[in-house]
Amino acid sequence: MRKRLAGFVVVSTVLVMGFCPAWAARAGDHAPDFTATDSGGQVHKLSDYQGKFVVLEWTNRGCPYTQKHYSSGNMQRLQREWTSRGVIWLTVLSSAAGKQGYATGPEENAYLKQINGAPTAALLDPTGTLGHLYDAKTSPHMFIINPQGILIYNGAIDDRPTTDVADVQGATNFVSVALEEATSGKSVSNPTTRPYGCSVKYRD
Amino acid sequence: MSQWVRSLAVTRMLSRLPLSRLNCNLAGRKVVKFYMFPVHRMRLALLAAGSLLAFTNQLCSQAPESHVKIELIPENTTLQAHKTFRVGLLFRLDPGWHIYWRNPGDAGEPPRVQWELPPGFVSGPILWPQPVRLGTGSVVDYGYENQVLLMAPVEAPAPPAASSTQGIGADVKYIVCREMCIPGKAHVTLSSPSSAQQSSAWRQLFEQTRAQIPRSAPTTWQFSAKSDPGYFNLFVRTASKVNAVTFFPLEAGQIDNSAPQGFASTANGFRLKLKKSDLLVKPVATLKGLLVFGPDHAFEIVVPVAPR
Repeated sequence: MRKRLAGFVVVSTVLVMGFCPAWAARAGDHAPDFTATDSGGQVHKLSDYQGKFVVLEWTNRGCPYTQKHYSSGNMQRLQREWTSRGVIWLTVLSSAAGKQGYATGPEENAYLKQINGAPTAALLDPTGTLGHLYDAKTSPHMFIINPQGILIYNGAIDDRPTTDVADVQGATNFVSVALEEATSGKSVSNPTTRPYGCSVKYRD
Repeated sequence: MSQWVRSLAVTRMLSRLPLSRLNCNLAGRKVVKFYMFPVHRMRLALLAAGSLLAFTNQLCSQAPESHVKIELIPENTTLQAHKTFRVGLLFRLDPGWHIYWRNPGDAGEPPRVQWELPPGFVSGPILWPQPVRLGTGSVVDYGYENQVLLMAPVEAPAPPAASSTQGIGADVKYIVCREMCIPGKAHVTLSSPSSAQQSSAWRQLFEQTRAQIPRSAPTTWQFSAKSDPGYFNLFVRTASKVNAVTFFPLEAGQIDNSAPQGFASTANGFRLKLKKSDLLVKPVATLKGLLVFGPDHAFEIVVPVAPR
């Protein structure tokens, strides 16, 4: 049974293997437009949000780096604060089916309720199309797009690249800093940082 | 409540248990699986459920799945005053699992070590062996699989007491990953070899690891680097022909870890074309990294980058 399963995995890996072009998502450039479906079945287009700040947050509920920000309530707090200030917050799940962090729409809805999550929407991206479009590397990996559609931040959530919940307090949150600066008309002082976390569990 | 309904409730309760409870790793090797059978008598079901849980909990708490074993070993067992000796953290990983290099690449983080030393002893920085590239897709990391020895020099005071290595230990924080990542912590104290055989095996391990530590490039080699749109071009003048090389950046966010590296032989050496990272928004003054030519063959380089 195990052998047969292994054989199946090898064959299916070979079948789906191909090149997923990673597009540039450089701070200062136009953010690539996308269309994605959320956990409730609603379709979201980036261009629909022109005129608003948009945050993209790559997530994987099984990843200890992501868990650091959810078990501490940090991510939910950021989602509440910034959505209440008119920011569109899109959590993205790029884990492929069968990989850590994959969830169906109903599963993700139940999970958001359980953890008291508050993004504008959770986008399901099991094919990794959106992930590769932005070249998301880790969970978490954060992007901010300004009302003109320019990518103004690409990087880590904060300056403590660990899984330790105790590190949330006292960390400099790069997303909040960038949003505070951008929403008050300043340019973002730190437009890129090295994202930290688990690798995004893309389809092989 | 009818007996049927109650036993159904028990079965449902059992089926809701997290999988890890019922499928746990024993002694790091054997996987113990527990299968549930339909139970028709409620008392029997409760009893079975209770003892099953107690049993599996006991097993799991005794042998958590860490996927790595860490030991702190000495290179030598005899100390000399004012002499530097080496200790090493030996990470033995389950197949497919890895830990990270000092620059972990796109994901993960390197192990962090807090040394515990007896008075008068001084430790130096970790000597990182040359890593391997991990991952083939758009996320590429640098790290170690199977087994790695992270050596560190320790200087003994004068005169060292006969038993003074006994107080040497380390607190290690690490993350070990395969398809998933598991953070871990370990407190280790310096092991003593149990036999002359083990002592020589350890010495050999240090010897092998020493060969994996990047060295300085030969003084006859010449390096230059140029910043071009989208790429860095690294030119190396060598004494002999080079057939293949991989660059491992020491600084995060300079080059695109997952991009193929364009290698080309030149008349007197080679050129390496390295794609710039999307995260790079400021000019880079120097390229720092390893040139890895093969097993036990790596040079650490720092090359000033000429602007366009």
